[in-house]
Amino acid sequence: MQFSLILGTIFFSLALADQQTLVLVDNLNIRETHSLFFKSLQDRGYTLTFKLADDANLVLAKYGEYLYKNLIIFAPSVLEFGGQVDTEAITKFIDDGGNLLMAGNAAAGDVYREIASECGFEMDEESAAVIDHFNYDASDDGEHTRIVVSPTNLIKAPTIVGDKNRLPLLFEGTGLILDKDNSLVMPILTADSTAYSYNPKSQVKEYPHAVGRKTVLIAALQARNNARIVFSGSLYFFSDEAFSSSIAKVHGDQVRSEVSGNKALALHLSEWAFGERGRLRVRSVHHHKQGEKESSNTYTITDTVVYRIEIEELKQGLWQPFEANDVQLEFVRIDPFVRTTLMKKPNGVYEAVFKVPDVWGVYQFKVDYDRVGYTRLYHSTQVSVRPLQHTQYERFIPSAYPYYVSAFSMMIGVFLFSFVFLYYKEDSPKTKSE
Amino acid sequence: MTSLTAVIPKLYQEYTTKTSKKLKIIDAYLLYIFLTAVIQFVYCCLVGTFPFNSFLSGFISTVSSFVLAVCLRLQVNPDNKTEFQGISAERGFADFIFAHLVLHIVVINFIG
Repeated sequence: MQFSLILGTIFFSLALADQQTLVLVDNLNIRETHSLFFKSLQDRGYTLTFKLADDANLVLAKYGEYLYKNLIIFAPSVLEFGGQVDTEAITKFIDDGGNLLMAGNAAAGDVYREIASECGFEMDEESAAVIDHFNYDASDDGEHTRIVVSPTNLIKAPTIVGDKNRLPLLFEGTGLILDKDNSLVMPILTADSTAYSYNPKSQVKEYPHAVGRKTVLIAALQARNNARIVFSGSLYFFSDEAFSSSIAKVHGDQVRSEVSGNKALALHLSEWAFGERGRLRVRSVHHHKQGEKESSNTYTITDTVVYRIEIEELKQGLWQPFEANDVQLEFVRIDPFVRTTLMKKPNGVYEAVFKVPDVWGVYQFKVDYDRVGYTRLYHSTQVSVRPLQHTQYERFIPSAYPYYVSAFSMMIGVFLFSFVFLYYKEDSPKTKSE
Repeated sequence: MTSLTAVIPKLYQEYTTKTSKKLKIIDAYLLYIFLTAVIQFVYCCLVGTFPFNSFLSGFISTVSSFVLAVCLRLQVNPDNKTEFQGISAERGFADFIFAHLVLHIVVINFIG
């Protein structure tokens, strides 16, 4: 039996129409002010259920089954969620594989802060906003909080943000900082070096929470169970106003644009967050000894082995061959004995041909493909590597002949010696009689 | 040094006169084994350890033969009669042959 474990792939391919999404808002106006964003989701097949965040009948799961696959929280002013939803329930929702898109603003309360810290982000204090005196938009009301962010500040991950972000982005909201030690969180969009996060209405007395490029405007997390979280400090970022407004930077290079890049980025982020992009799965794994057809789970030391893995990526709702040049295979017995890059073959097949090490034991073929923006692909197959059989060793090696001669001479020696020893008669019986 | 030069001829003389012929036969046999072992070892040093199992079995067979022959020599030496009471020279020889049988079966199995 082949022991195989598939993590990082999602076993079922739900039609997108089944993607139930709960949208929590703090007032139903948001449905209108963010209609472009919601409409694009509905156009892509999501069923959106709008609920007030403090609705007393809120539930995420019924009879242990989740009612929703995705959760959108656009309710910065909420003090406490209603019904059965609280930080713990949302954390559990993520632990069970649910996706979360959350956007706040400067007024966001402690619930937001709690959820953010559960996800590994740290949100600034209430009423603090990201201020940038050098990169604010002409439509700013004087506090310099409606900032213009260059698309070059985006994370270099086309799966998450797309590769066509040329237009400047509008942002108004609070800043986040990320824990350096948390390897799962990613800064999607960072502020410019002149930005800082502080209450715009008060004088700066303390060192700001986040300064310069460390101020993260949009952060994301892909949990170990491949649940995805996108956390934006700005709800305004997703609004119709931001989607359609023109940009005119007041200072500096005076960037101007007819339209902001918010829409493209917001839609791309939502596609990634809800699992339309960057999902990988293993379709099949096959390994055999070179020159043979049959798969085997036992190899002999120094055999040449062919390993083939077929990887698929979800594209436009269909599983299609995955294209990459950096998929690696490890042949592991506690430590990797072989680590090799898999050769790309047509139709998403990756192949490696390598020689099994001259050390026997229980090994695993491991493919662990963990790239930014993609679900973690992990596959391991256990095989045993045995030493040569007694009959497989080389015989009659010319350089071993002296040893053969010696061994046989010992035998003949003892034979002859026995005769001499037994038939020799002592000359002087005197010594024997003593 | 003077004592050493005095001792060696004396030792030789004692050996030639006092040691029984039977023990001298064993000693000759021991010398033969010893030389075989030395030749093998030198060969291994020159050629390398490639068929290491062959070298080991060849070398170990000489070492073991040497050890067994020494044991036999101890048992048949009339001077050690008090040490091996109840073990006759014939019994000692039978043990010697039995041990050799086991040894050579192992050696042939391992020599490759």
